[in-house]
Amino acid sequence: MITPEIRLDEVSKFYGEVLGVNRVTLRIPPGITSLVGPNGSGKTTLMNLITGLVHPDRGTIEVRGISPRNPEQLMRFTGYATQYDAAPRGATGYEFVSAGLLLYGYSSEEARRMAWKALERVSLTDAANRKVAAYSKGMRQRVRLAQAIAHDPEVLVLDEPLNGLDPLVRAETIALFREFANRGRHVVLSSHVLQEVDVISDQVILIANGMIIAEGQIRGVRDEMHEHPSQFLIRCRDASRIASILFEMDHVTEIKLHEDRLGMLVWTRSRQEFSRALTRIAGNGSPIDSVMAADENVDALYEYLIGGGR
Amino acid sequence: MINNSFRLRQVWMIARLQLRRVFFARRSLWVYLLAFFPAIIFIGHGIEVKIKRERWGGHAVTTPAKLDSVREGDTEEEVIAKAGTPITDQRFRRRDEEEPERRYMRYYDGTRQVNLWFRSGLLVQKSTSNLIDFEEDRQVYAGVFQYFYLRLAIFFGCLGIFMNLFRGEMMDKTLHFWMLTPVRREVLLAGKYLAGLIAAVVIFTGGALFCFAAMLWPQETAEVQAFWRDGGASHAFWYAAAAALASLGYGSVFLAAGLLVRNPIIPAAVLLLWEGINGFLPAVLQKLSVLYYVQSLCPVPAPMDSDTPALARMLLAPAEPAPAATAVLGLLAVTALVLWFASRAVTRLEINYSTD
Repeated sequence: MITPEIRLDEVSKFYGEVLGVNRVTLRIPPGITSLVGPNGSGKTTLMNLITGLVHPDRGTIEVRGISPRNPEQLMRFTGYATQYDAAPRGATGYEFVSAGLLLYGYSSEEARRMAWKALERVSLTDAANRKVAAYSKGMRQRVRLAQAIAHDPEVLVLDEPLNGLDPLVRAETIALFREFANRGRHVVLSSHVLQEVDVISDQVILIANGMIIAEGQIRGVRDEMHEHPSQFLIRCRDASRIASILFEMDHVTEIKLHEDRLGMLVWTRSRQEFSRALTRIAGNGSPIDSVMAADENVDALYEYLIGGGR
Repeated sequence: MINNSFRLRQVWMIARLQLRRVFFARRSLWVYLLAFFPAIIFIGHGIEVKIKRERWGGHAVTTPAKLDSVREGDTEEEVIAKAGTPITDQRFRRRDEEEPERRYMRYYDGTRQVNLWFRSGLLVQKSTSNLIDFEEDRQVYAGVFQYFYLRLAIFFGCLGIFMNLFRGEMMDKTLHFWMLTPVRREVLLAGKYLAGLIAAVVIFTGGALFCFAAMLWPQETAEVQAFWRDGGASHAFWYAAAAALASLGYGSVFLAAGLLVRNPIIPAAVLLLWEGINGFLPAVLQKLSVLYYVQSLCPVPAPMDSDTPALARMLLAPAEPAPAATAVLGLLAVTALVLWFASRAVTRLEINYSTD
């Protein structure tokens, strides 16, 4: 019987002297699993290891009981949308998706039908006969997804699949992942934006410097995240006065005034309370020109998690 | 169901999908240039012969007997009386000498051109040459085929075609398309090799035969007919076979090289040197060469001028040829050996675009 999980045992991968991942042991159950980490943390290496594009220097990997060194069997039930365009120069979206299906042994007619179905699922039928080279970033993202799901895989691996998608398509794509997961399949995706995967993942694996630093259900990581101070950049005319007001508040942990005295960087443990405080300050006659979140990517959270909290 | 028949279908499918990339890749343009460059030279030669034949044939053609009767020492008037009006007649005098006027006449008998030089009204030199010399052209073709086509055109053409099958796709960041399909790596290798081989054989066998046809095109009809009766088809076949087998052999070597090294210049230089010194190598090592076998199949030995420099003579001199059957089987054995090494390498191949 096929083990319905992805297992990595003590897996290490080095590129010469550069670390890819180091001694990674994981059990990934079916559902949506997000690999989250800053750029260069080892997310893509981990996905390449799972799909057999690279081989581990140490350790073993099994995807539902099959070794990634056996692509003939592995890729029958696995689809991988990488971050690179694989379409040959001059190929249309339809040609790109249908070409791969022929290698599964499907007849031309079956491949045609399945390719159109996949393109339909990513809302790309209108542009299917246009050349991939002329696609926008979001369309390329979708055609790669279409190619990965065209053979209806049990395991779907996706490298930064939400990059470049507009909000509507993003929502449709997330619904597609959820549908896969609800059918007992694996959806493993990567992102460097924790907030992005927060709402869609069943489990999250946090990775940094090639090592797993946290894994588990999203709730636990979310709690950690809520503890993590958010950074905001404020531009205003009376920075010193506003800073002194904010510093009196419990949720504000740190303030750095800008050299020009017309702005500041504020660390807060509560976005809601911080938002209410700013409204009050502005209402009391201290004009605020702009407020901008300064730590939308996950790097700051990592720093926080690895460092054990500020 | 996965069985060998299914895998063979996958090989063919990969080859079909790959063929478009091989034939129409921008970086393959120079391969076509290499393959058809000799044909362009021969066509140019043929056009020149045809034009001369047309132009000179438009004048009154002098019979060979009349031209043979012209002797050195004849006066200009006597020559004209014997042979009639020449097709070319030029008078000239050198500025720095106070010599009498010189005169040059050319006659054409439908096959040969006869050149006559006069001084002081007397014929001082007579030379005869064929407008086109079939035997000489065949020798030139043999030289072009063995020195240029086999050693350079097919060699570098296969480098361009076969190195690109893996290394080129790695550079384009498209190789993962194939590696994410349910295909054994050895099957992928076979499919890509088949695509490269089909392209190389079509381009280089086509180029060799096209060049052969271009060489025959301006020849005298009677000579060409005699050539076909006398085993000409066998010559064409062996040239085509040599081109195809060279593609087979060099293709396997460069396919393997594309899996093992990033820079194509290194394997190309090493192999070029190895093939170049093949004639000096011990008999056992000579057999580990593509050139050794394919040169053995060529129907006409490559000409070597007596004034060729010693070093060039050493490098160009072919090794002692092997019998045709041995050559074909030997080349197939070398190719199988190289492909076996390539199949080991392809199972270890990894996608790592960032380092390429």
